[in-house]
Amino acid sequence: MTRRLIVEPRGLAPWWLKLLIPVASVFAALIVGALFLSLTGNDWFEVYGKMLDTAFGSGRGFAETLVSATPLILTGVAAAIAFRMLVWNIGGEGQLIFGAIVAAGVGIWLSGSTPPIIAITAVVIAGAVGGAFWASLSAVPKVYLGTNEIITTLMLNFIALNLMQYLVLGSFSPWRDPEATQFPQGRPIIDTGRIPEFFHRLDWGLFIAIAVAVLAWFVISKTRSGFEYRIVGDSFDTARYAGIKVPKKVLGTFLASGAAAGLAGSILVAGILGKMDPRSLDLGLGFIGIIVAALARLNPIAIIPVAILMGALNNAGPALQSIGVPSATVTILQGAILLFAVAGEFLIANRFRRPDRTPEDAEMKAEVSAA
Amino acid sequence: MARKRWTFAIALMLVLALFAAACGSDDGGSSSGDEEFKIAFVHVGPTADKGWSWAHDQGAKYLEANMPGVKITTLESIDEGPDSQRVFEDLAADGNTLIFGTSFGYMDPMLAAAENFPDVTFVHATGYKTSDNMGNYFGAAEEGRYLSGMAAGERTETNLIGYVAAFPIPEVLRGINAFTLGVREINPDAEVQVVWTSTWLDPTKEGDAAQALLDAGADVIAMHQDTPAPGQKAEAAGAGWVGYNTDMSEFAPNGWLTAAIWDWGPFYLTTAEAVKAGTWKPEVVYGHMADGMVDIASFGPSVSDEMQALIETRKQEIIDGTFAVFPDPIVNQDGVEQPLGDIFGMDFFVEGVIGSPKS
Repeated sequence: MTRRLIVEPRGLAPWWLKLLIPVASVFAALIVGALFLSLTGNDWFEVYGKMLDTAFGSGRGFAETLVSATPLILTGVAAAIAFRMLVWNIGGEGQLIFGAIVAAGVGIWLSGSTPPIIAITAVVIAGAVGGAFWASLSAVPKVYLGTNEIITTLMLNFIALNLMQYLVLGSFSPWRDPEATQFPQGRPIIDTGRIPEFFHRLDWGLFIAIAVAVLAWFVISKTRSGFEYRIVGDSFDTARYAGIKVPKKVLGTFLASGAAAGLAGSILVAGILGKMDPRSLDLGLGFIGIIVAALARLNPIAIIPVAILMGALNNAGPALQSIGVPSATVTILQGAILLFAVAGEFLIANRFRRPDRTPEDAEMKAEVSAA
Repeated sequence: MARKRWTFAIALMLVLALFAAACGSDDGGSSSGDEEFKIAFVHVGPTADKGWSWAHDQGAKYLEANMPGVKITTLESIDEGPDSQRVFEDLAADGNTLIFGTSFGYMDPMLAAAENFPDVTFVHATGYKTSDNMGNYFGAAEEGRYLSGMAAGERTETNLIGYVAAFPIPEVLRGINAFTLGVREINPDAEVQVVWTSTWLDPTKEGDAAQALLDAGADVIAMHQDTPAPGQKAEAAGAGWVGYNTDMSEFAPNGWLTAAIWDWGPFYLTTAEAVKAGTWKPEVVYGHMADGMVDIASFGPSVSDEMQALIETRKQEIIDGTFAVFPDPIVNQDGVEQPLGDIFGMDFFVEGVIGSPKS
């Protein structure tokens, strides 16, 4: 008789399993990675040592990991809050870019004598407003005309990208630095609009990002509005039946999602970049945010450590090339670690069982549920 | 519910952190023992692009072969922008005493890294900023461009040459203008039509632009970017092709005419020797055909012997300094004579170019 495995939702997994599976899946990824590295002629021990040393081994390295994580926290939150509401905003990339455009516009337009508190606040908030506006171009048609936001947000990414390139590379707009004649560059924003750095290149934007993630978690989990939000996220019909104004909720979520992505843009402009420059912003940060959100299972708090992990993986890449690992091998290794992490998540949520259930199996299941 | 996802991410971090503690300790000791001279190269594209990054990588290989005791580290496909500062600093922390960055967008990040690592020498290609421990370098590609234009002028029968251009910046405009002047020395009736792609390395877009020019009647394609895609389109259409950066004749054996090419090796070697001897000074290097940084590639089958001889003569005149690629005054796109001005800020097209110098 054939025995096939059936996949079923696990329900509530015991606490030790929730800890064991992620740990085991990371180890599995590392073992498979080590095998792959050995087969391609690399010293796996040296490679792993280098990765961890780069990302966490020194104060500067860890600061750089957090620098890379900062925009990912925000684009991760942007994706997570939208996806939980079944709003498929994959336009974080475009909203980030448009946020950066608006933020840099304000930072260039302000007088150089503007006090830092006002200038920084204005630049940072301008980005959020810009991101929300760019999201509204998809949100309003979705809510009132029923257009598909997957298509509109995706297309608007390209429009934002081309707009950014046009403003600096293709025209003599105020965003283009008039002093850079050899190659077009973004014009620096006023100095008082820059977020101060507190350690190496790490600036206070990190704490803005963390605060936004915590705020998103708080609103969703602890407020009445968040409760309604979760109902809408479970089912539009249930929400409607419960008297919740679904279109208004969807619109609000969509705009908040865009604002978070736009904030990532303005924190880059006011922080590490100091200008809106196409080469520095066309990095797919909005798209990586979707991966971050998925790995964090759409939980805003979990996004913080996941974004840090992504930042670490990102920074380890070039460092591995310096010990002779080809760039393609690095990309494969990074992909393997992410793949195993996602697979591990699946094992927490689901389990395998044999189809012919014996009384013992049923007992075990009852025990697990009780735990 | 929230707790479950939390634990996963935290566990992941814990494992990594523990691993870091275990492996990190033995990593520090290994770099201090040996006395080798460590040099690093950072490229924006893959070194296999057979274009810009490949040419620089060839230079690095020349340096490696000609300088005993040198250890070269090459990083490829490194994005420009703020991320690259970290890459430069990691290389400096790893004990590299000389670091080359071969793309314009590395300029400001490299300047910041140079400030944080004052004992390391940084040298940046195509930029204009220098500091106490950062110099820059580039070369007069226009000299090779002019010569390649002569070959194109001989080849065209439709008198329309297509030019797949990157960005409307002085470097690219210099190339287009020098090429056009070379074309029109041989064939005063020929015109050069420019299409902007806003890319440095995007085979699809650059190939499409070449195809559009071929469809418009061009029978020679010239280009600025780092891929051979325009040449492959030209080859397929039976048209001629003028490349850039390196000898790419293998991609279009029939259509190949020639190209302005780079030879960075000697510059890398002299720079490395100067740094090792402690005599290096931050300076702005603009190499020429005379010092070998710029050259012209091998000729394709359709370039006649007479033309090859004429090009060689012109090349010798450029090397001797008896022929200037850009006359002063110079006739612009509108047929009006104007002063040449600073070629590093060039913002106009010469007579014979079709298109806008502002994209």
